[in-house]
Amino acid sequence: MDQLQHQNRVTFPGLDSDQGSVRGQVERKSSMANQTVKPKIVERDEIVRVSNLGKSFGTHKVLEGINLTVRSGEVLAIIGPSGSGKSTLLRCLNQLEPQTEGIITLAGITLDAAKPASKKQLNDLRRAAGMVFQSFNLFPHLTVLQNVSLPQQRVLGRTKADADTRSRALLERVGLANKADHYPVRCSGGQQQRIAIARALALDPKIMLFDEPTSALDPELGLEVLAVMKELAEAGMTMIVVTHEMHFAETVSNRVMIMADGRVLEEGPSASVMRDPQTERAKRFLQAVRNR
Amino acid sequence: MDLINFWLENLPTMIDGLIVSLQVTGAALVVGIPLGLLLALGVQAKTKAVRFSSMAFVEIGRGAPALIMLQFAYFGLPQAGISLSSFAAAAVALAWTTSAYTSEIIRAGLEAVPHGQQEAAVAVGFTRIDALRFIIVPQGLRVAAPALLGFSILMLQATSLCFAIALPELLSQAYMIGTNTFQYLPILLFAGLLYASICVPATIAVSLLERSLSKHSA
Repeated sequence: MDQLQHQNRVTFPGLDSDQGSVRGQVERKSSMANQTVKPKIVERDEIVRVSNLGKSFGTHKVLEGINLTVRSGEVLAIIGPSGSGKSTLLRCLNQLEPQTEGIITLAGITLDAAKPASKKQLNDLRRAAGMVFQSFNLFPHLTVLQNVSLPQQRVLGRTKADADTRSRALLERVGLANKADHYPVRCSGGQQQRIAIARALALDPKIMLFDEPTSALDPELGLEVLAVMKELAEAGMTMIVVTHEMHFAETVSNRVMIMADGRVLEEGPSASVMRDPQTERAKRFLQAVRNR
Repeated sequence: MDLINFWLENLPTMIDGLIVSLQVTGAALVVGIPLGLLLALGVQAKTKAVRFSSMAFVEIGRGAPALIMLQFAYFGLPQAGISLSSFAAAAVALAWTTSAYTSEIIRAGLEAVPHGQQEAAVAVGFTRIDALRFIIVPQGLRVAAPALLGFSILMLQATSLCFAIALPELLSQAYMIGTNTFQYLPILLFAGLLYASICVPATIAVSLLERSLSKHSA
């Protein structure tokens, strides 16, 4: 763990890795103790709070009555069958899909379904939340380096030199320094997804949202992406991960949320939710994915 | 041999005509294609006034034959107090036609950019303008490039219509030589060859471009 912490400190220079690791450790202890003992560190900040969120497309209800809190340094895995609304929930968080009911507060920005979000709110929101897509969505007409650098220049106003330096450091950390001047099409899926992670990290987000980041990858390439995500989690990044990777949900995340039919079935410390689900539907789902 | 001599004799006049043809084409494209991009964005605009005026501009440009646009600009506008030289009239009329047609080509190109690109641009925090400028338009134009160049070749051929407004372009020159010498067949053949000398290599260039673009895309 000492060695890990040391690695982490170099791994993601933008992150408060010291604190992060301590947070991670305490989190794990507290979850083992069934959260009866309060951790001895200062109460961590709430980064995300979702209250009574609903989303409908026309008359079709996709999400209903979702409540959720994520604190700084936590890793929340959202699992559940296809069509359960996991991705839609994630997309509501950065307003790629505005919710039709309820309130989202993310990094101090409050978005109420009742009133339209202002441009400034949306800008602040997207600056605070880094998004990684299932299909990577790298910009194919830009080199890998430009993919990571251009948003920093346009969104954060960094100079090209500054942005390029940071980009190269991040690419190095995801193991792709040698790809900087290539076009994304010449990279494997796993490499593209790691570049997408670097692109999001380059904007110093307060939270990272992952939308099935390994679903478009074969298992082997998925592993290299998961390894990067694990390091990121250990470095203290707050993350919400929609995933079908049960091992990741069980071992890397602190908390797991199981969704079905647009509702939350269960939510809690990953160990207890994964090993001892309370509802019939959650049991069936976990059984099904485990028996694969 | 006579034919070659006849051609060589008239070569300078014909080249002058070809240059005028190329200049009109150039002016129409330089004004028309950027305008076509604006119109492509305009017909998708949220503001109704912008959307409807863009649509009207495009529909007139596509609906009216280029020959009518030319005659309107050259013979029609002076009645409204705007007198244009034949070159200016040709440039205005063909630029309008070009913008109307290329707006549709470019719109199709922009729509071919995968939706995920727009989402990624939004997610990294780009403004609408930045997303268009750095992500959507460059990719859309890449898709549209072969069709745009194909259209440009057609435009060069369409400049022969400027014959009707007394612009000394290639066909007018050939026709003038024909009336003086009564050698219509050889001089029109020569004009055709000169058009082809530009259009055939350009067509080959388009297909090469198409191939190299497809290599690069995802």
